[in-house]
Amino acid sequence: MSERKEQSRIPISKIQRASKFVSTGAKVGGNYIKHYSKKAFNPKMDRTQLDLDNAEDIYGSLSELKGSALKVAQMLSMDRNLLPPAYQEKFTMSQYSAPPLSYPLVVKTFQKTLGKSPYAIFDTFTKNAVNAASMGQVHKATKDGKTYAVKIQYPGVADSISSDLRLVRPFATRLFNMSNAELDHYMSEVEGKLMEEADYGLELYRSKEITEAMAGKIDGLYFPKYYKDLSGDRVITMDWLDGVHLKEFLATNPSQEIKNKIGQALWDFYNFQFHELRQVHADPHPGNFMFMDDGTMGIIDFGCIKEIPDDFYENYFSLLKPGFMQDKDEIDKRFKALDFFHEKDSPAERKIFSTVFLEMIGMLSKPFQYDTFNFGNNAFFEEIYAMGERVSNMKEVRNSNGARGSRHGLYVNRTYFGLYNMLNQLDAEVKITKPEWLNGRTEKVA
Amino acid sequence: MAKKQTAKPIDSKIKEAYIDFVLEHGKEPASVYKFAKDLKMKEVDFYNHFNSFKALQKHIWADFLKETIENLHAEETFVEYSSREKLLALYFTLIEVLKTNRSFAMMDLQKMRKGDLKPAFLDAFKKHFHKFVDEILLQGKETEEIIDRPVIGDRYAEGLWIQTLFILQFWANDDSNDFEKTDAAIEKAVNVSYDLMGKSPLDSMFDFAKFIFQNR
Repeated sequence: MSERKEQSRIPISKIQRASKFVSTGAKVGGNYIKHYSKKAFNPKMDRTQLDLDNAEDIYGSLSELKGSALKVAQMLSMDRNLLPPAYQEKFTMSQYSAPPLSYPLVVKTFQKTLGKSPYAIFDTFTKNAVNAASMGQVHKATKDGKTYAVKIQYPGVADSISSDLRLVRPFATRLFNMSNAELDHYMSEVEGKLMEEADYGLELYRSKEITEAMAGKIDGLYFPKYYKDLSGDRVITMDWLDGVHLKEFLATNPSQEIKNKIGQALWDFYNFQFHELRQVHADPHPGNFMFMDDGTMGIIDFGCIKEIPDDFYENYFSLLKPGFMQDKDEIDKRFKALDFFHEKDSPAERKIFSTVFLEMIGMLSKPFQYDTFNFGNNAFFEEIYAMGERVSNMKEVRNSNGARGSRHGLYVNRTYFGLYNMLNQLDAEVKITKPEWLNGRTEKVA
Repeated sequence: MAKKQTAKPIDSKIKEAYIDFVLEHGKEPASVYKFAKDLKMKEVDFYNHFNSFKALQKHIWADFLKETIENLHAEETFVEYSSREKLLALYFTLIEVLKTNRSFAMMDLQKMRKGDLKPAFLDAFKKHFHKFVDEILLQGKETEEIIDRPVIGDRYAEGLWIQTLFILQFWANDDSNDFEKTDAAIEKAVNVSYDLMGKSPLDSMFDFAKFIFQNR
């Protein structure tokens, strides 16, 4: 019963949830005291231990909250390039563990959604969840010799999204050094996406649409089939995919050739979505990718899809065009369009932010400037992280009021971070495919 | 609700007519005589089955629970459930049964006073509940899901009854979509009670304290 024990510890009411955050705040504060008192005796100590302590306490409270708070933890863990290394491991764990729902509630959900209990539909059905999804859990089922993955949503998820996010707020401002305005900017986009994710009907529709559009386009990728008649508001049924998660896959010591092949498929997968479909699987965390020994890969969970508006698409990817960095008028135009610049900025502010953003773009778009890029190169990632920390500590940036950057950029950036990150873990060398117009040969027409 | 089918046994006919009346008038009928007359039956027919409206009301609530337990046994995997899962399933199914009679149930639940542990209308309901709970507690003790403790071990059923009242109240006040919050409340409440009844650090602490006391 140990796995059940976990669940009784989920704080029940909003007040309890709130107090959970307060106690975490207190613990984090305590960690700072511990850190500075230790540092008084040992000046050489760095922040690693402090960050580790903080990450542990924060993770501890987030994982007990489940639902949206867990999702936020996941988001944070995806932006790991901008997080101290000590937080990274901890937050990545949240992608795999969530306390399960009891079987009677699963049965009830089935009866409500599909009018029958699991055993009346399937030949076998695992009583316990085999995997956690961020807003639900996955059971394995068989019928007529076929194996299915059945995803079941936690009750009340949609209702709790807004209140959960409100609870995370005071916490996130401190942890990520953000002003309230910046956070608002961020949260409204996140909330919208989370509401979409909680809508299983929409997820089913999009999963079908995207997987059908992608089918056969890229070598080495496969997608599950989705079953509409076995799905509903709270339940989604799809093919069961074999394979293991990235970590376990890497533990089997796959050859460089296989790793490159997978890396390439991943790159092409996102390239196709960004530039052809203009909508992208914006949840690139390792739990959504199932790796096989032969270097093929299954991709699941199309709950979080970012649709890319045309004007944003043009402005955003124009930053990657060769020669962009030298073209002052172009920089001015695109930065204004992407909200990097505000109307009321003073010339001095313009100058600072233009330098900062150009540096960031230069760094993050580095892979695009090569024909092939070796993502296994850790120096590249350390540079990004160092830059992230330096920028977030700049007085001018911290004191600037209002968020900078288009809200659409949040999920797009997150997707690229996630992709880079997986390619880095894969240690893959990838041929950088990109649309023609980014090569500077043809002019883009919107 | 009151389908006038001649094939129906007389007691369920009376029950349906009663529920119907209460729903439409917001109170119980003025007298058994008038009620029976409207049903085109003799007063004595009523008394042959129920001795008062109060008794009838208790009977209706007990039937909600009986129906719940019947539905549970219809689910073929029910026998394999652990004690904890059986209680969860009982509550989930009970709420489903009550949902089809929500207006009626609400009238009684809303009249219930806070802290009243023995509402009269739930008398018979409680008896059936205890019968069910005694069985699953026994199962739990056999499988060691539940630890039998001196003195409080006999009060578990009482505790679960209080929990049941809490869940009924919660449901009565639940305004979430499809009563999803009630589902969550049930899940959490049952887990708390089973964790309390299960082996906990308190047991080892008590054991240790006893040892020290006896050996000082």
